[in-house]
Amino acid sequence: MSALDIRNVTKAYGPTTVLDDISLTAESNEFIAFLGPSGCGKTTLLRMIAGLETVDSGQIHIGGQRIDELAPGERGVAIVFQHYALYPHMTIRENMAFGLKNIKTSKTEIDARIGEAARILEIEAFLDKKPGQLSGGQKQRVAIGRAIVKKPDIFLFDEPLSNLDAALRMRTRLELAQLRRRLKATMILVTHDQVEAMTLADRIVVIHGRKIQQVGTPMEIYGRPANRFVASFVGSPPMNFLPVTISGAKAVATLSDGTALTTDIANLPESASWELGLRPEHVRVSDTGVSAKVEFVERLGERTLIYARLSDGTAITAEDVGLSRLTMGDEVHLSIDAQAAHLFDADGRGYHAETA
Amino acid sequence: MSHSRNQKWREIGVLISLIGLGLIMVSPLIWTVMLSLKSNGELLRSTTNAFHPPYTGENYAAIMANSGVFRWLLNSALVSSLQTVGVLILSSLAGYGFARLEFPYRNQLFLIVLFGLAIPEQAVIITRHQMFADLHLHNTYPGLILPGLAAPFGVFLMTQYFRAIPKELDEAAMLDNASRFKIFWKVLLPLTLPAQATLGIFTFLASWNDYWWPLISATRADMFTLTVGIASSQINFAQTSGLGYLMTQAVFASLPILIVYIIFQKYIVRAVAGAAVR
Ligand SMILES: Nc1ncnc2c1ncn2[C@@H]1O[C@H](COP(=O)(O)OP(=O)(O)OP(=O)(O)O)[C@@H](O)[C@H]1O
Ligand SMILES: [Mg+2]
Repeated sequence: MSALDIRNVTKAYGPTTVLDDISLTAESNEFIAFLGPSGCGKTTLLRMIAGLETVDSGQIHIGGQRIDELAPGERGVAIVFQHYALYPHMTIRENMAFGLKNIKTSKTEIDARIGEAARILEIEAFLDKKPGQLSGGQKQRVAIGRAIVKKPDIFLFDEPLSNLDAALRMRTRLELAQLRRRLKATMILVTHDQVEAMTLADRIVVIHGRKIQQVGTPMEIYGRPANRFVASFVGSPPMNFLPVTISGAKAVATLSDGTALTTDIANLPESASWELGLRPEHVRVSDTGVSAKVEFVERLGERTLIYARLSDGTAITAEDVGLSRLTMGDEVHLSIDAQAAHLFDADGRGYHAETA
Repeated sequence: MSHSRNQKWREIGVLISLIGLGLIMVSPLIWTVMLSLKSNGELLRSTTNAFHPPYTGENYAAIMANSGVFRWLLNSALVSSLQTVGVLILSSLAGYGFARLEFPYRNQLFLIVLFGLAIPEQAVIITRHQMFADLHLHNTYPGLILPGLAAPFGVFLMTQYFRAIPKELDEAAMLDNASRFKIFWKVLLPLTLPAQATLGIFTFLASWNDYWWPLISATRADMFTLTVGIASSQINFAQTSGLGYLMTQAVFASLPILIVYIIFQKYIVRAVAGAAVR
């Protein structure tokens, strides 16, 4: 029995369909990330699980029980809102106790739960302060604490880190990962930050264009993207796409300048056109290989990103060592690791080497 | 260095002008108090002797002796406080409704409320008088109180205020198993306290100082409010023999308001400065 079971859920606002026939299951204790560009409906899906948005058609089950017609409070979920949504006039303690009081939890039980949550989140020191007296990061912890004390079956996080500065975001991300191990509950995280999704989630659900594009572990999403959208959305800098022609059983991809690359991809169907997908780390500056002209150099310290153009004008991003001496206008050779390449057919569907 | 000295002089300048303006504002009030402490006979000769003794409390004693005054004070207190409480309750409920509930013709209804803001009392007073006469409500407390409960400004203010509260708070409370009433009462209403204070003070002051409607509605002396009662007694005493008495009445009538001002000073300043509405 899965912890969360979303069956053929559709949602429209007026004439615009936001989510179309979404189906998804999450196992108990699993950490799922909804990843997608802004406006793709991640928050909407989360809010439908929480009961803050109605479901147009389809069903949602939690722990085997159909919940999409229950009131939000009766679904066994807790949500951590993007802007925290702490009650400003209540102390932190009262914020955490409010939900428990409403279901007539005993005073001793409330105190015990708040005490434990406060200890885990290290917010004991400001239990009697008001939210307005806390920093963003502290409010974030309180918001998580308010969810923890309810002991929900499923935790829902809507972009919990997006309001934090870079350093705090990284720290909170680590803490979320630890928290997750400690709480042993099903968690769903909405984010448009791929690093967040990659580092935290057991499985990532990539949403785009009203549909789920792919569901998979971070490595599956990164290494075997189901289609061109997933391939281009995940990974930074994004994957290179080069038009190629295909021949042979183990597909040989030929670039427009005639360079033939033997991939590890077999059993390709017919397609009107093909694109070769190459992550920048698989295109390296070297002494031999495809020649290209450097257009822009981005020095990141431990590595250098080279934005270049092939002789036919195709843009390509490559990597070089951190101390690269290249500058704009240089002619370089790029060695391509064809074994790590992906192929995308005319419909954008992805094909990968068997072993990758 | 010179910068900070300049600033100091500017601050002193501002302070002096403020003190000057303040004195101009309070001088009539002080004048009133001084006159109220002089005997009527003395004032009849000259009002300038108000600046030196002897002072007397005889006017205050005379007011206490007038049995009507306490009745009027009570009427005013009753009408003003009930009107204030009523306006706060109705405006909060209506504001919550307009801000948070979906119902047919919501926007049209709100537009009507906005029209209410633009319609002066003068335009409706005759029909209102007629209506209250037909309902036999003149010379009753409901007659004095009910018209003030229609408070388009209150509804407007509270609607804007509720709208400014993020919906996420309602949603968090929904997930916290709070009923709709509990969300209104425990989560949203406490957050509107600054607006409640503003609205409450303005309503109370306007109601306390109202003269026109009580003058029309209350024709029996025992139903007068303080404003109407004092005005009615002036016909007997004013100018001819009772300048001091007149001033004593004015002091007496403003005392409750003065107390309200002192207690709610902070909120009144904020309300007037418009800072209460985030
Ligand atoms: N209450 C609403 N009424 C009408 N349209 C809405 C409503 N809520 C969301 N939408 C639309 O639904 C789409 C999905 O919105 P949603 O908030 O789920 O996106 P998201 O994936 O969470 O985006 P973001 O990353 O920016 O938060 C958007 O195009 C949005 O304009
Ligand atoms: Mg969102």
